[in-house]
Amino acid sequence: MMVDSSMTETAKVSPRAGPSYAGWIGKLVASPLYAATIGLIANSRMARLVLLLAIPLVWIVTLHIGPIYQMARISIMDNYPPAPGGVVYTLDNYRLFFQEPLYFMPFLRSIIFAVCVTATTLIVVYPVAYYVAKVVKPENRTRALLLLLTPFWAGELIRTFSVIMFLANRGAVNVFLREVGLIDRPIILLYNYFSLSFGVIYLISLFMLLPLYSAIEKIPTLLVDAAADLGAGPWARFRRVILPLSKDGIISGCSLVYLTSIGVFAAPLLLGGPNSTIFPEIIASLFHGSSDKWPEGAAFSILMLAVSLSTVGLFMRVVGGRSVKLM
Amino acid sequence: MRSYFSDFPKTALQASYWLFVIYLLLPLALMMAISFKDANFVAFPIDKWTLKWYAQVLQDKQFLEACAYSIFIALMTTLFATIIGVWIALLISAEGIMARSVIFALACLPAVVPGLINAISMRIFIRVLDIPTGTGAIILGHTVHAVPFVVIMVLTRLRSMPNNLVDAARDLGADSFVAFMRVTLPYLTPALAGGMVFCVLTSIDDFVRTFFLGGYQTTLPMLIFAKVQGGMSPEINAMATLVLIVTAAIGLYAEHFTRRSRT
Repeated sequence: MMVDSSMTETAKVSPRAGPSYAGWIGKLVASPLYAATIGLIANSRMARLVLLLAIPLVWIVTLHIGPIYQMARISIMDNYPPAPGGVVYTLDNYRLFFQEPLYFMPFLRSIIFAVCVTATTLIVVYPVAYYVAKVVKPENRTRALLLLLTPFWAGELIRTFSVIMFLANRGAVNVFLREVGLIDRPIILLYNYFSLSFGVIYLISLFMLLPLYSAIEKIPTLLVDAAADLGAGPWARFRRVILPLSKDGIISGCSLVYLTSIGVFAAPLLLGGPNSTIFPEIIASLFHGSSDKWPEGAAFSILMLAVSLSTVGLFMRVVGGRSVKLM
Repeated sequence: MRSYFSDFPKTALQASYWLFVIYLLLPLALMMAISFKDANFVAFPIDKWTLKWYAQVLQDKQFLEACAYSIFIALMTTLFATIIGVWIALLISAEGIMARSVIFALACLPAVVPGLINAISMRIFIRVLDIPTGTGAIILGHTVHAVPFVVIMVLTRLRSMPNNLVDAARDLGADSFVAFMRVTLPYLTPALAGGMVFCVLTSIDDFVRTFFLGGYQTTLPMLIFAKVQGGMSPEINAMATLVLIVTAAIGLYAEHFTRRSRT
């Protein structure tokens, strides 16, 4: 039979003589169709290798690298879709970015905003992560952590929406302050940098919390005890022992928060105002208005990608030193 | 043994924890409270209570359709992302693979590219390939975003799997397909469950990719976005509360499940 002749030496035992299995898989293996299809692949080293390699590599090359390659290609075109005369490659789109403060300033603002958000999140979340990882008793730790995790299962937009209602002129904060008698007229909390950072930190502090928590949890209590025995006060123990040992958590937390906050999109649309336009809105407007701005949009996206990834790389090199994993 | 951690300003740490919990929970709790308000505008204080917004939302055809559409996209995304994620993880963990760390880095690429850039590059990509925006494009975009997380979860689990398990199955006569189905896959179950729940929740939650890749049919986040921009009404609160309860329940259940199977 054709099936038998094409089997390799690894399949000296024919499927019928082999072990039988319970359930659907047993029926599948016993069926003659199996030997001709899956069994053939499963018993051939070559076929297995090709199958193992092919799909992941094709997927990664086309869908992980492909889109970014296309974005880079379009970013150096003068027009997209190309004009009838053929494609002209130019660097004008990149030049425009540096010449036009209307683009350049929001970009700078975006970067500074992301850096500030990252720093604030680190400072706010560090004591919280420390408390859960080291002060809370181990048996209560899961509960303490879950209390922090639950809000993050609400979606991005739902959380943004709740922040809007929290900070609005007739929102919770203002109504409370007026009832207490601290203010007569509402303080404007919404549609500025305050609401934007409040909302963005609200959205992404989880990315800081989890890496910090797992790094701090791993610090052996003995080391801190030893430092205390040798006469280190609380501050010295924190600065010389705990902080260096939680460095991995700080690095991955900061990288994740920075990369997320720089690409955050819905929150600025809903929480930002005319004075706090950050770069994502500008890039998006180039794609959504008229399509002839696509090359500029692509160029700006490439710049943003390059700057954000290189900032993270630099940060890892400076703070981390040795190789660090992002996740 | 005396715990030197007690020397730390413990009360300050405790206070920071509870303040942070309040920061995280209060806006959501107040948002839920307003969904019961008997008035047409979203504002405090709440004088009269009602359930009419829930009745209205549950009869809202637009909302129900958006839910069904979002769930469909999430399930398709989960299916594809799990298959491809496991496949890539198997490749990375296979013996004698060259450039392992390069493949791993490239597999993780969509997770480290900022969300907006990821969405825009996908938009450009499907236009270059002449794929229309709409359901297929959304599923593709969500899948590309979800794959790295599945890869990471599965790889972490694979690393703890003893090599000789599969060898033993092969020695006992199983071919590699049977060995995979009966040994590797069951071992991966906790990681797969975690990865799948993650895929479902990120897909249902995703706004930016759907914004760029979507067609005329609205998903849940698009609907909420349009409603929030259009004007506030406690109806949105009721909608958001319902979605929140469902997603939080899924998340809590998954957390419970993975925690139990780990021990």
